[in-house]
Amino acid sequence: MKQMIAATRRDPVLMGLWLSLLVFALIWFAPFVFIVFTSLKSSPEIMTSGAFTPPGALVTQNYATAWNRGGFDHAFFNSVFVTVIKVPLGLMIAALSAYALARMKNRWNKLVLLFIVFGTMIPFQVMLAPLFTLVNSLGLVDTYLGLILPYLAFGIPYQIFILHSFFKSVPKELSEAALIDGASHFTTFRRIFLPITLPVMAALLILDFVATWNEFAMALVILQDADKWTLPLGLMSFQGQFSNEYGQLNAAIVMTVLPAVLVYLIFQRYFVSGLTSGAVKG
Amino acid sequence: MSSVTIKNLQKSYGAVDVIHGIDVDIAPGEFVILVGPSGCGKSTMLRMVAGLEDISGGTISIGDRVVNDLAPKDRDIAMVFQNYALYPQMTVAQNMGFALEMAGHSKADIARQVARSAEILGLEPLLDRKPANLSGGQRQRVAMGRAIVREPQVFLFDEPLSNLDAKLRVQMRAEIKALHARLGTTILYVTHDQVEAMTMADKIVVLNAGKVEQIGSPLDLYDHPANKFVAGFLGSPAMNFFDATITQNTAQLADGQRVPLGARAGEVAEGQQLTLGLRPETLTLDPAGPLQGRVKLIEPTGSETFIALDIAGQDATVVLKDRLEAAAGDMLRFDVTQGRIHLFAAQSGLAL
Repeated sequence: MKQMIAATRRDPVLMGLWLSLLVFALIWFAPFVFIVFTSLKSSPEIMTSGAFTPPGALVTQNYATAWNRGGFDHAFFNSVFVTVIKVPLGLMIAALSAYALARMKNRWNKLVLLFIVFGTMIPFQVMLAPLFTLVNSLGLVDTYLGLILPYLAFGIPYQIFILHSFFKSVPKELSEAALIDGASHFTTFRRIFLPITLPVMAALLILDFVATWNEFAMALVILQDADKWTLPLGLMSFQGQFSNEYGQLNAAIVMTVLPAVLVYLIFQRYFVSGLTSGAVKG
Repeated sequence: MSSVTIKNLQKSYGAVDVIHGIDVDIAPGEFVILVGPSGCGKSTMLRMVAGLEDISGGTISIGDRVVNDLAPKDRDIAMVFQNYALYPQMTVAQNMGFALEMAGHSKADIARQVARSAEILGLEPLLDRKPANLSGGQRQRVAMGRAIVREPQVFLFDEPLSNLDAKLRVQMRAEIKALHARLGTTILYVTHDQVEAMTMADKIVVLNAGKVEQIGSPLDLYDHPANKFVAGFLGSPAMNFFDATITQNTAQLADGQRVPLGARAGEVAEGQQLTLGLRPETLTLDPAGPLQGRVKLIEPTGSETFIALDIAGQDATVVLKDRLEAAAGDMLRFDVTQGRIHLFAAQSGLAL
């Protein structure tokens, strides 16, 4: 009886949506399956079997070979180093700036915010060449700092933009209560605003982690020395040198993508609630 | 507890003046309510006392200290907000102890003071809960707990009961009054609800458009309003007003009905134009009464009966203690309780 009621109540629009979601998920998932399968096949098997045929005998050797040939020990360290410094540092700066712009009285706040948001509007391809000249003139080509500074400059504005609108939506009585309770601005930020911002911060952390981890163009311009290359650059060189070794190439891709997937899986619980935060009054 | 002295207080946003020179004296331990319609500047005034708004002119003193340029935390005040403003990620105990923590008290000291305040407000079972898991009334109580933990010189309340349902509001009204009786701390309380003002205050300050209309005890303001605004604002249902002309010791209404002025006849001159004010409960059914009106609507509340009438072409309300069998369109006659007649100058609205 219960089932019958559920069956009659099923909404055709909702079912259509679920169906199209399923199709999209499959389309998105297909390349991943292809890459993982291929990375576990030997070269002859890749040539003879279909792309979506599961591997016959698992060839894990591809991973070891790819790691060594691609110089991944360097690249992995470089990527981790740059990301682990850039992402938390950028988020901290963005959160502090957004708080200041949203909650500290200053008649220039609107202008400063406009200026920062303006920074997100210039396509970064346009700035690549001038950026190189700038980094070069500072003597920072082939250094971590030379890469981290532009990453910060490009990442922070949109984070400020998002966090600013979030902080603005927090009832002002909350900061006033803290002010009366004797909290300084920094304490108010750390003890009151930061905890309620965690879902948004988690969302921004995931987005920024993936963006930084996969960043290619800027790293290509600034890092000339192969020892300083990040993973996407290592992957590129791989592709040129061993273009017929599809097994190793795909193994390299899996290794590059894996950390981003792990970070996403760890933070995705917050990510989803962060995307919807602010939609309803909490 | 401390006195609060407000002298010639002014506030302007750019060229717009919102508060025009207000003087209020609050004695130590007094419960003072600022009341007025929306936009009269009462909340702004409270926020200026709290230090959340800059002062454009005049002085505010708490005790004998001028606090104009002191930061909110240095004014020795505590404030309860309309939306409670509880810190959402902290437990009730942490919320209440936050100010003490900021002031550098030891953990043991904070725990002791939080426990004492929780006991006063009956919050002990809730101390480990987060605000999201509390009902509206409980949140309100926690907000008050957060205020009393600090033992401030002055409590500031900004429409604290507006977000509660009617029943809870009546209950919290009594609780706040009991709390004041127990702690004896000076309270400055803002509301737009004149019932709150009448029932709780030692002294009411009626504000309108950034000016003080009248200051006094609730019943004093009710019985002797200084002007038409105060008369109309305090009391529910509101006072009835009629345009009248003095004719042979009576107030003659637009349609010729005459209300005898009794003892007050000597205060006015023949032919004088004025406004006659009659409170709804001072009119009583009397077939031989001087005042006649046509019934528009009857609202029985159970304990009382509200009658909406048309008297001399003007809307009026009468509150009767008894039930009434009447229908819209019926004509009813009323007597006027002598000694409860209010007269206001036609132009200025000042009480005569």
